Amino acid sequence: MGFFDILQGLMGGAVTAIYITLGAGTFAMALGLLLALAQTFGHSRWMRWAINAYVEWMRNVPALAHLFLLYFGLAAVGIRFSPLVAAMLGLGLVGAAMLCEVFTAAFRSIHPGQREAALAAGLTPLQALRYVLVPQMLRLSLPSTANYTSQLIKDTSIASAIAAPEIMFFARNLVTSTFETSLIYGTALLLYAAMVWPVAWMFFRLERRLEMSR
Amino acid sequence: MIAFFTTYAEFWSDWMPRLQSAAKVTALLSLVGFLLALFLGAVLTAGMRSHNLHARKLCRGFVEFMKAVPLLALLLALYFGLPPLGLTLSGFWAGALGLGLHGSAYVAEILRGGLQAIHKGQREAGLAAGLSPVQVFAHIVMPQAMRIMLPPLLNTYVALLKDSSLCALIATDELMLTARAISSESFLPMHIFLLVGLVYFLIAFPLSLLARWLQTRLNAGRRTMGAT
Repeated sequence: MGFFDILQGLMGGAVTAIYITLGAGTFAMALGLLLALAQTFGHSRWMRWAINAYVEWMRNVPALAHLFLLYFGLAAVGIRFSPLVAAMLGLGLVGAAMLCEVFTAAFRSIHPGQREAALAAGLTPLQALRYVLVPQMLRLSLPSTANYTSQLIKDTSIASAIAAPEIMFFARNLVTSTFETSLIYGTALLLYAAMVWPVAWMFFRLERRLEMSR
Repeated sequence: MIAFFTTYAEFWSDWMPRLQSAAKVTALLSLVGFLLALFLGAVLTAGMRSHNLHARKLCRGFVEFMKAVPLLALLLALYFGLPPLGLTLSGFWAGALGLGLHGSAYVAEILRGGLQAIHKGQREAGLAAGLSPVQVFAHIVMPQAMRIMLPPLLNTYVALLKDSSLCALIATDELMLTARAISSESFLPMHIFLLVGLVYFLIAFPLSLLARWLQTRLNAGRRTMGAT
C-alpha cells in the first residue's frame, strides 16, 4: 500500500474534518459575537459575570473533557447526539469562549468616540454596530481569528475520540487492516498540514490587504 | 438535583485516590513536556536567529510544521508509528515527547518575539561598555525579554496541561484515561467527566490568572521605564 492509496483512504476523514470545522467555526463565531456584544455593551452585571464564568470554564478545561461530557455524559441522562453533532457542538462551545475573549478585547480597543460619533450622526445603535463597530472589531481581531481557525482545524482530530469518522479515525482503521503504521500516521500529519497551511496563508493575505487599505 | 450530588458522596472514597494519583501523572507529564518544549524552543530560537541560512530555514520549517499538525496526530505517530521504525516509547514518554515537540513551536515563537522586542541599541551599548556578548545577553537582554516572555510562557504551560489529556488516547494513565476507566465501570459519565473537568480547572485557572496578573504588572513596569 503506497502513499497515494493511504492518502485516498484518509480523504473521507478530511471531508469530515472540513464539515466539523465549518459547523463548529460558524457556531463559535455567532455565539462568540453574541457573548462579546453582551459583555461589551450589556448593562447587567450578573450577565457579565455569567459570561466570564463560561469563558473561564471553557478555556481552562481540556476540549476532550467537553466532548466526553456532551457525548457520553449527556447520553447517560437521555440526550443523544451523533458523534459529528457532538463534535461540532463541543468545539463550537469552546471556540465561542475563545472568540468572545478576542472580540471583547477588540471592541474595547475601539475608541468610544467612534460610537458616539456614529450615534450623533444619526445612526441607530444597531446601525452603529453594523456599519461602524463590528467591521472595525473584525479587522482588529483578524490575527487572533486566524490563529483560532488553524487551531480549530487541528482540534477536529480530537473528534476521533468520540468516534466521529475523522482523519485520525480513518487512520486507525487503515492501520488495523494494513499495518503500514508509520506511513499512515506520517501521511495523516502531512494531510493536516496541507489543510492548515492554505487557510493560514489566506488569512495572512487578508490581513495584508486590510493593512494596506488602512 | 440533590441526588446528583449524593452520588459523589457515595463514590468519593473510591474515585478520589485514583484521581489523585492520576493528577500526579498529569502534572508530571505536562511538566516534563513543558521542560522539553522550553529546551527545544530555545534551540529552535537560536537556530532561527543564527547567521547560517540553512539553519534558519530548517528551524523555521520545523516550527511551521509543528504549528500545523494536531497534537493527537503527533502522539499517535510517536506511539504507534515509531515502533515499526525501531523505536518503542512508553505511553508516558511518547506523550511527554509529543507535548514537548508540539509546545516547542509555540515556545520558539515566544522567545523569538521577546528577544526581538529588545532594541538593538541595548546590546550595542552593552558591548560598547565592555561587557562580553554572554554578559550582555545574561544581564541586559534576558532580564528585559523575560518580562515580555513570562506571561505567554505560562499560558503555553496551561495549554500543554490541557493538551496532556490527549495522552489518554495513547494509554497514559493520566486524569482523562482514569476518568474514562471509572466511567465505564460506574456508568456515571456525567458525574466523572464534570469532576475531572473541575480538577483540570482548579489547576489551570489559577495559573491563567497568574499569567494575566503578570502581564499587567510587567507591562506597567515597562511603560514607566519608558522603554519600548
